[in-house]
Amino acid sequence: MTKLKLNLGPQHPSTHGVLRLILELEGEKILSCEPDVGYLHRGMEKMAERLSYVQYLPLVDRIDYLAGFFYSELMCRTVEKALNLEISDKVRAIRVMMLELNRIASHLLWIGAFLMDLGATSPFFYAFREREMILKYFEKVTGQRMMNNYFVFGGVRRDIFDLEDVENILATLEKKVPDYEKLITENPIFLQRTRGKGILLKEVALNSSITGVNLRASGFDLDFRKRDKLYCGFYFEPVVLEGTDAWSRYKARVLEIIESSNIVRQALEYLKKEGELNQSLINPLNIKLPEGEYYSEIEAPRGLASLYIKSTNEKTPYRLKWRTPSFYAVNLLRKILVGEYLNDAIAIAGSLDIILPEVDK
Amino acid sequence: MFKSIKYTLLSMFIVFKHLFKRPVTLEYPEKKNLVNEYFRGKPVVNSNCIKCGICMRVCPSGAIKIDENSFKIDLKKCIFCGNCTFYCIKDAIKMSEAYELASSEKESLELIYKIGGENERNI
Repeated sequence: MTKLKLNLGPQHPSTHGVLRLILELEGEKILSCEPDVGYLHRGMEKMAERLSYVQYLPLVDRIDYLAGFFYSELMCRTVEKALNLEISDKVRAIRVMMLELNRIASHLLWIGAFLMDLGATSPFFYAFREREMILKYFEKVTGQRMMNNYFVFGGVRRDIFDLEDVENILATLEKKVPDYEKLITENPIFLQRTRGKGILLKEVALNSSITGVNLRASGFDLDFRKRDKLYCGFYFEPVVLEGTDAWSRYKARVLEIIESSNIVRQALEYLKKEGELNQSLINPLNIKLPEGEYYSEIEAPRGLASLYIKSTNEKTPYRLKWRTPSFYAVNLLRKILVGEYLNDAIAIAGSLDIILPEVDK
Repeated sequence: MFKSIKYTLLSMFIVFKHLFKRPVTLEYPEKKNLVNEYFRGKPVVNSNCIKCGICMRVCPSGAIKIDENSFKIDLKKCIFCGNCTFYCIKDAIKMSEAYELASSEKESLELIYKIGGENERNI
């Protein structure tokens, strides 16, 4: 049979951004896959070298527009570490609550988009309806729906309010998530399209630096929240499934929504009792990190995100480097698409939860 | 076979249930989304401004320019991050609730606020 070269993307609606996959086909079987990234490159790392830390902080939300809080927190955390700033317990609780709400919103969007890729339209609207509640709350507190810019060095921009809204969100999620499960999880069509497709073995995942839900759905218990100081005092169990296929990656994300809402509930209980907000804000015009190298990491919705800053006691960093989880997931497509059929390529690529702005930075 | 029929009926039931609910979307041009107090819309400068220039130095995109007696904000460059509002020591710059800022004229996207002016010069 003759071989065929096929470009999947960069404007294909199912690649969630501008990802180009160069596939080599024999019939409908994929022989090789070459991901081509860089269509959304904005020079996030180079930009940091000419902006001061305060100027750079609002931009980091744009690295991953679905989980902006995580990158904000990462930037704040690294600078706080370098300047020895302590954040109070209330700030910590606010941050945990916002991060987990953001994680829920991100996973909800993924569920909707993934099901859309497979051809089901209704779950897309249901997932967006619940996500809308969370975004409305973000808009109320932070001022914008996605580029929140809520965290600042040493604290948050303003005290939290309207905690009843969060209670509402949690109550709705508790009611609606079983609805998704009824609609999707055991649906025979969905099972046929995802069960046994895109098998990602534990060893392969570890060798390709896959972290987060994708790794945990392959049966390896690694959750960076467990060793995170920010989450100290919050009780939760990382979701670990043994399935290794696209279906178990879906299931793990649904279970993680429930787990995250438990963390939000704990933070909420704490915030209701707590009084005034103590912050250790610093002069924005004079932030200079002492000479040295700083590194910190966080468990973002898509896996381990980390930030490295090298400073030479200037107002701008000498070098700044982001480690973003989706970059490794795109690279993994090279391995797991080989031997699969073209029809499943979208389902498998979708199940890894790839966000392109985060890949290209 | 029976399982498929069962699931098709179940999904149909859930989908049809939504037919009798009120829509969650807004008919945009007629009905508008209400924004609240802290919404980050069009930046507005008031007379508290003392031209200290902090906002200019924390702005990530260089949208703010201050000279003799005017305060210019370039909406084409502004990314609505709210840095200027948060770090202003005199509460002189606020982000208003206006959010439909598209315009066909380039000039109208450059906001010029007169501050200080003659009164200040007399002192």
